[in-house]
Amino acid sequence: MMPPEKPSHTEPLVEAVAGAWRARDPRGEIRFHPEWYDLDDRGRIEAYEVARASRFVEAALDPLGLSSTAKAVLARIRAR
Amino acid sequence: MHDLDEHLPAILAGDLDAFGHWVAGAEPRLRASLRSFATLVDTEAVVQEAFLRVWQVAPRFVADGRPDGLLRLALRIARNLAVSERRRSRSSSADDEALERAQAGEVGERAPTDPLLRLMIEACRNGLPKKPAIALVARLESAGGEADDVLAGRLGMTKNTFLQNFTRARKLLLECLQRHGVDLRTELA
Repeated sequence: MMPPEKPSHTEPLVEAVAGAWRARDPRGEIRFHPEWYDLDDRGRIEAYEVARASRFVEAALDPLGLSSTAKAVLARIRAR
Repeated sequence: MHDLDEHLPAILAGDLDAFGHWVAGAEPRLRASLRSFATLVDTEAVVQEAFLRVWQVAPRFVADGRPDGLLRLALRIARNLAVSERRRSRSSSADDEALERAQAGEVGERAPTDPLLRLMIEACRNGLPKKPAIALVARLESAGGEADDVLAGRLGMTKNTFLQNFTRARKLLLECLQRHGVDLRTELA
């Protein structure tokens, strides 16, 4: 959960994109987060780094070592 | 780093729990391999789609005798997805060298399996103020299954307030870990 060095005006967007929720298209493929398109390059890198650190912490907290990403993938497979 | 192909026989037999163990070990390396694409594609979407495709093709996977065969396949799938999306968005070139290094197994990010680290994160999480704590728990419990506006609505917050509380939780957690000598930058380096 690594924050940027200083607060960014795009912080809520970064936080949203750094989450593991993603919508599906009608074919079932995972779509980009809608707010990813609103981020500039700096914001996208920030979102990537926040996600990387967040997934690390989530996995550390989970008894099976599963992050939100891993759980979302497994839930998707189970739902098929 | 142990060979993740130890889970392969069970995965080939359709064991989703074994696939979960494999994903837990593979995710940090897969995500790290996409860093050079971070400005070009939504790497979270690419990571999730790559894992779904690995599960789909796993029954036909044939190991080549080298370690981490399924992970190497996952890295190729993720790279191809990222390249495909990059082309679709007509963006400039990315650092393919980093991906080559990743495919060669040089991306050595480890999965967080340290029980002491887990206890420390839990202790820091337990010390969070109420609203940031419930925002953090809501996201953890949803595990990517629900959008932030849905989670926010359930907590009686606007989406923006929810995200602000989550950001606060994340930063306080980081500060707490740093006070206890854990620097995530080092852990993730």
